[in-house]
Amino acid sequence: MPATEEIPSDAGVPEPRKRSFLSSWAVNVAIAFTALRTNLMRSMLTMLGVMIGVFAVTLAVAVGNGATEAVTESINRFGSNMAIIFPAPDDGETGRPRRRDIRGRLTQRDLDAIEKEVPNVRAVAPQLRQQVDLVVAGNSTSTSAIGTTGGYGTITGHLTDQGRYINEADVRSAARVVVLGRTISDDLFGGLDPIGESVRVNGVPFTVIGLLERRGSAISGDQDDTMIMPIRTMRQRFVGDSLAGPDDLASAFVGFDETATLEQGKRDIASVMKARYRVKQGEVSPFTIFTTEEFVEQTSIVTGILQAVLVSIASISLLVGGIGIMNIMLVSVTERTREIGLRMALGARKSDIRNQFLVEAAVLCTLGGAVGLVLAALSGWAVSTYADFPVPVGLGTAVGAIIFSAFIGLLFGGYPAVRAARLSPIEALRTE
Amino acid sequence: MKPLVETRNLIKSYSLGGETILAVNNVSVTIEHGEYVAIMGASGSGKSTFMNMIGCLDVPSSGQVLIDGVPTSNMSSDALAALRNQKIGFVFQQFNLLARTTSIDNVAVPLIYAGLDTEARRARATEKLKDMGLGDRLLNTPAKLSGGQQQRVAIARALVTEPLILLADEPTGALDTRTSEDIMAIFEQLNASGITVIVVTHEDEIAQHAKRRIEFRDGKVISDRVVENRLIAAEREAAI
Repeated sequence: MPATEEIPSDAGVPEPRKRSFLSSWAVNVAIAFTALRTNLMRSMLTMLGVMIGVFAVTLAVAVGNGATEAVTESINRFGSNMAIIFPAPDDGETGRPRRRDIRGRLTQRDLDAIEKEVPNVRAVAPQLRQQVDLVVAGNSTSTSAIGTTGGYGTITGHLTDQGRYINEADVRSAARVVVLGRTISDDLFGGLDPIGESVRVNGVPFTVIGLLERRGSAISGDQDDTMIMPIRTMRQRFVGDSLAGPDDLASAFVGFDETATLEQGKRDIASVMKARYRVKQGEVSPFTIFTTEEFVEQTSIVTGILQAVLVSIASISLLVGGIGIMNIMLVSVTERTREIGLRMALGARKSDIRNQFLVEAAVLCTLGGAVGLVLAALSGWAVSTYADFPVPVGLGTAVGAIIFSAFIGLLFGGYPAVRAARLSPIEALRTE
Repeated sequence: MKPLVETRNLIKSYSLGGETILAVNNVSVTIEHGEYVAIMGASGSGKSTFMNMIGCLDVPSSGQVLIDGVPTSNMSSDALAALRNQKIGFVFQQFNLLARTTSIDNVAVPLIYAGLDTEARRARATEKLKDMGLGDRLLNTPAKLSGGQQQRVAIARALVTEPLILLADEPTGALDTRTSEDIMAIFEQLNASGITVIVVTHEDEIAQHAKRRIEFRDGKVISDRVVENRLIAAEREAAI
């Protein structure tokens, strides 16, 4: 109907109410708690859904973070600021099958040149590996022996805490001496002190000169199941001509100073090596260099994918919890239609009603989420403590979980709340 | 002074089974400040629909409702909410108190929407409850109150925002005779203090307390007259 006369439409209209966000929020939280208490059993069951969802998602995030942490730690334990060189052709891309048309190259002389020419090098260590059988009177075992120099201890930081490490003199004289990891020494000598004792390595008598400190196991396996001997001894006694050249290495470690960047270090090593093998621009190098940084990055990608998969699966349970919230909020709106009408008659705006139900859903979710979070933190702690695998539920995860559950509440409580706000006051008030 | 409530050619129609039913059919009524009006009629006469429209709970199909001189037809729902909050106090037959909620918190509900802080809300609610003689029932929930007490809590709630109009829909419908007289006595007092009271009822005896009586039948006003031989609740109470 068109207005038949001109009356200023704002005359006498009550002034818009000014209301602090915080105070109306507090009122809505109070209303929400009253409503939740009123239907305690129902509220608890609804919360259970969100609780399980948040529990699952939080734990999935924590397991993913734990895997990253474990892998990173195991790499860092081995030596954080380090490059590893392999005698394998590198065409600049990972994940491809190895090129067979180019022979991989890495020799002791290459390593000597790197040590001399590359700046900021703290230590270098060549490496040969050989599976060996170890025998002492009555006991035997086998392990993968490492032939190297004293630099290996410097780079990896895995040193002896009894006896001594191999040194330059041992290497020069190809001494028949070994340093044992704790697992090997336990297998061979039980509780007895093995320093100075003899052990037969593939039938050749060696003297034990040191024990490596105990490290326990990591993702990569038992770090105490190892044995170190001078590289020259290994070459002469065991490896012989299994390698292509008399000077060839299975791999080499280059440890850098704290101040050096690995990226620069890798470039420097590459340029020394390329010069030595006359690798021209665009040609494939006969060696591959990895840095610990790159290892960490690559494993982070893998653990990231693992985490994403776990979180996606866990999210399904959170989704189901959210649907439970929506369901119960719709029931709540229907049950309290008369209350909604009354509140509107007493001056509640649509937005007041909407916020009331939104807050109720958010409170329901946040409470459920908080319980789920606590359970996840406890489970994470239990797994970390008893299963020796880190499942850290950190502050970031905790805050994220709480915010996320409140968000779930707003998301799934949104539709019921909007429906409540759209009710006509008189229709709502008339409802029995 | 502008009339407090004015309706112009007010129509509310429903369509039911292909038929159009006129619940309120072309009603023009003017109620001045300070009046005490009874709106009478049988069930289905349109009196409740009329009341819902002047209470801004329902929108007319056509025609105008002016509250305090201001037409309400173009107001936003927020503006209507504010108008109900500040100018109109509602009293219902079934009291409509929030269960499991104390008298104070029930009375304070309109003040939430008026934007008062907790302390101001409690102070004003307490004051109104004391005015209604419920100073010792502040923390009772409705379940712990008699019907008459519940209706007095509801009246305190209607008055807590200091409205101009008290709109009561069958306020004594759920109460016994004696308690009804109590409630009517309160309305008398309120009207004496200057509040405009509009009571919707189908009971002659209740209507007889008002100063003016508007009767509805089939959606139309069939009589609108001054009440003679008014019943004064205060006197009747003394007699009982």
